[in-house]
Amino acid sequence: MAQPPLSSSVQPTDVYGGDEVSAIVLDPGYIHTRAGFAGEEMPKQVLPSFYGHITSSQRDVFGDQAIYPRADFEIRNYMNRDSAVEDWDTATKIWEYALIDRLGVPRPTPASKNGLNNKPKPAADGDVEMADEADLDETENYEKPMQENPLLMTEPAWNSPKAREKAIEICMENWACPAFWLSKTPVLAAYAAGKATVLVLDVGGANTSVTAVFDGMVLKRSVQRSPVGGVWLSSQLRSLFETSEPKVEVVPRFMVESKKPVEAGQPAEARLKTFDFQISPSFRAFEEEGVLKEFKESVVEVWKGPGRYLAQGNEDYAKNLPGRVFEMPDGSNQMWREQRFKVAEGMWDENAAFPSATEEGKITKAQTVPGLIKAALDAIDVDVRPALLANVVVTGSTSLLPGFNDRLHHELTAMFPSVKVKIHAAGLTSERRFGAWIGGSILGSLGTFHQMWISRKEYEENGAGIVEKRCK
Amino acid sequence: MTSRDVHDVLNLPSDHSGAPRPSKKQKTSASRPNLKGLAREVQNLGGDNPIAIVPEVNFFKKRRFASRKPVAKWELKAFTNSARGDDGALVLRHWKKKTDVGAPVEGGQDGEGQQQGEGTSGTEDKPEDSAFAKFNVQVVVPHYTEDQYHSNLQNNDWTKEETDYLLSLAKDFDLRWTLIWDRYDFQPTPPGGDAANGDTSTAVVPAPKQRSMEDLKARYYEVAAKMMAVQKPAQYMTRPEFELYEMMQNFDSEQERKRKQFALNTMSRSKDEAREEESLLLEVKRILARTERFNEERRELYNRLDYPATDSDINSFKTSAGLQNLLQTLMTTDKNKKRKSIMPGEGVSPSSGVPNSAVSETNPANRRESIAASATSNHARRDSEARTPATPADPTPTSAAANKKKGGAQQPERRKLTQQEEQVYGVSYHDRLGSGPTFRYEKINKLYSHKSGQQQLRITNALSELDLPPRLVMPTAAVTAQFEVLWGAVTALVDLRKISDRLDGEIKIEEAKKAERDRAKGIVPEAEKEKEKEGEGEKGGVGEKDGEEKKDGEEKGEGGEQGGQEGEEKKRPGSSGSLTAAGHKRSASVLSAASDKSAKRQKK
Repeated sequence: MAQPPLSSSVQPTDVYGGDEVSAIVLDPGYIHTRAGFAGEEMPKQVLPSFYGHITSSQRDVFGDQAIYPRADFEIRNYMNRDSAVEDWDTATKIWEYALIDRLGVPRPTPASKNGLNNKPKPAADGDVEMADEADLDETENYEKPMQENPLLMTEPAWNSPKAREKAIEICMENWACPAFWLSKTPVLAAYAAGKATVLVLDVGGANTSVTAVFDGMVLKRSVQRSPVGGVWLSSQLRSLFETSEPKVEVVPRFMVESKKPVEAGQPAEARLKTFDFQISPSFRAFEEEGVLKEFKESVVEVWKGPGRYLAQGNEDYAKNLPGRVFEMPDGSNQMWREQRFKVAEGMWDENAAFPSATEEGKITKAQTVPGLIKAALDAIDVDVRPALLANVVVTGSTSLLPGFNDRLHHELTAMFPSVKVKIHAAGLTSERRFGAWIGGSILGSLGTFHQMWISRKEYEENGAGIVEKRCK
Repeated sequence: MTSRDVHDVLNLPSDHSGAPRPSKKQKTSASRPNLKGLAREVQNLGGDNPIAIVPEVNFFKKRRFASRKPVAKWELKAFTNSARGDDGALVLRHWKKKTDVGAPVEGGQDGEGQQQGEGTSGTEDKPEDSAFAKFNVQVVVPHYTEDQYHSNLQNNDWTKEETDYLLSLAKDFDLRWTLIWDRYDFQPTPPGGDAANGDTSTAVVPAPKQRSMEDLKARYYEVAAKMMAVQKPAQYMTRPEFELYEMMQNFDSEQERKRKQFALNTMSRSKDEAREEESLLLEVKRILARTERFNEERRELYNRLDYPATDSDINSFKTSAGLQNLLQTLMTTDKNKKRKSIMPGEGVSPSSGVPNSAVSETNPANRRESIAASATSNHARRDSEARTPATPADPTPTSAAANKKKGGAQQPERRKLTQQEEQVYGVSYHDRLGSGPTFRYEKINKLYSHKSGQQQLRITNALSELDLPPRLVMPTAAVTAQFEVLWGAVTALVDLRKISDRLDGEIKIEEAKKAERDRAKGIVPEAEKEKEKEGEGEKGGVGEKDGEEKKDGEEKGEGGEQGGQEGEEKKRPGSSGSLTAAGHKRSASVLSAASDKSAKRQKK
């Protein structure tokens, strides 16, 4: 018990095999893009992958603070629903914004231009835009913005070779990084959980994916994914609001000027703002998504099991459980009882999902979480399946729904009754949200990892194709 | 107010608390002299229960780090990683504690300016190698040349290209078969443009085959084992090498496939089946635990029962010798018991040991009863049986005891060698070995010296006839063994010849007797003839000797000897049967003399 603390002369980094080279970890996702220094606990910069596009001046503005109602303003996303980069030009810009302007990666530029002298962001909204633009202009002038820092990027397990090559090109050509590495998110999530052989269930914003990781490498045959994620859950919520009596209107927060408290179930008494310019549907959708996110965070719950929600008696039981009240930004509020279970049930049971208006909202049995896991395990060698089931790592923000892990455990034990199932889900919210980034942070600061980096020299000798050869 | 006052007020007896008090008092009074003047007076105010007075400290706490060395300085140092194998092309930088006493680094924790300054200086001198480079280990994957492939590794199912691909994957993924199989995607390169429009009939290029993990493993192990054997023949391999070699050679993909099928079935059991199996397993565990406990108890019981007989005749212990005997038996049993308690696995059968037998034989009835009482006497017997082979045939009880001690303690540790391994290591088993090292040729010499000189000669002659030197030039184990066999055969031959000679002689004598009898019946002239012959025979005997000298072979010498015998026998026709033995002896001596001569001649 009385173990003397390590004296300060002993470098704990040596003890834990760490060797920090101030690498940068960049983890782009559909909802958020995360960036930070390797070796840190949390990403320093988490900014939405959605960005604002001002149609009148053809400019892009990045970051939360730049997204507010204004004229000729559209919300776009540089990623697509497959969590792959769609718009590489914007991706480069947004990453530069995140790494150089926001993260303040030290640059070997003269002091007059280096990050120290960057003006801090003014609090007032109006000025932000200007600062952003100024920053962007400056960025283009940087000769080698990240000459000092190796960059570790993440990619989904199903990333295309073309996208991978593009990533290293940007890193090497635009930013002149000394070294680069591309790692798959499930692998990093496994590292974040401290394990090398795991079955990663990543319930993210745009996607839910199941991937087997064996000894720190993705088993390609096992990669399964479906759109059943946070965005899909929002669409389920919209269906729920459509079908509920009376209909629930989602009014984004920016539209409400003032509101009065009303009784539960009563129509809202709020005065809405009027704008002298057109609010684009994309902006409104983005803002509505924010409201739905809040709803998901505070109301929606996964039916814990045992058995499905639709099974005999479960629904009645759920009706008797204490409900939760949610107040919309416009003041209307309502008690949500069994609906809050039903919304998330579609992730587990395709029959329980709300009928979706769009084609992509409909899911099949194979797209549910149990279906994905089953398909993933069926695709790999039987010898590793028990090891994987004993190490199920759950990550992704949508997995933070209450009861998610319990349900998962019930489903898995029902599916594989003779195998020991153990679920590892980080307790901390942030660790679940940034699982892949944290894994990248661990990997990038490992002393033994530095032999893996694709160096600049290697890139120059072999071209962008080297990323396929090295990052397996 | 002290506690004693309280006691007084409440009229409580303070006896039990009175005892320890005085010592306390003494302590306080002892510390008092330090105080002087007013301080002492104030102290005395407290009476028995001194007031805690904290002396005023009029200086600040010492600075904790006053004695420390100056703040450790850190510097941004460049380093390379030799495990990358790019000759230090990638230079990364990390913060390291400054070791040399250089110019003090100001504000080392604040990155920016520091990094720039260090960045230029760091690259000037040779950057150090990363401490983590040593952790880079790689698997050894067999290599083969084109020729080696063609001579050893041909396989109808596998092209060289595909084998190369498999081995490169094995290297890339460090022989993690799950990954190799996962990434296995072999695309055979078409040999020419014509493959594109190839008909099914003329298609030489095989379609990429769907390989199972077992196929991949089987091929890899095949290649690896063969290349291992090519580089180092099996008999020269070290043990781990040989084990690996054998394991790879014996890889059975079919069995592996079946095992996987079985595992698959196990995984897809229904809940009820799983539960049933689990309960069965539990039951088995319970039963096993119970038997174990039962065995333990029985062993204990045996240990208790294992005492020297009390129901035997007491008269044997009345003499001092008898008492001595008893003491000894008791001591041996005691010793055994001690050993048993140390090694519980062995102590199940007390009747197995040889030294015990003295005791157990004194009370056989008792023993039999106790064994018969336990239903599992079989177990005990089996145990003793299992132990006996471990001790080789023991001539004396004492050595047996020693043997047993060794055998009991070491036998379980010693690994049983297979035939192959025995051959590889040259291990052989002997009943008994003489003390100290001996030469192998001495063993042969010993065989010689056990024989009589005459036989030695004969054997030497026989060997020289076979062009073998009497003393082996290269007495290796195998040669010695063969020589021994040969030697045995020669000895047998010589012995047989001796017997046949004797029989021949006897036949001759009997015939002579018969002739004599015939002559006695009345034919005199024949007798006279005999006499004449006798004289001739004597001459012939001498002549034979000379003749023998002329003959060089042992065989012929034997023939001559026979002739000589004949002559001798004829020489004394009147001698009775009892004399024949003497005649034999003589003939033998004659022969030996003759062969002595021949031997001398040979030496010359």
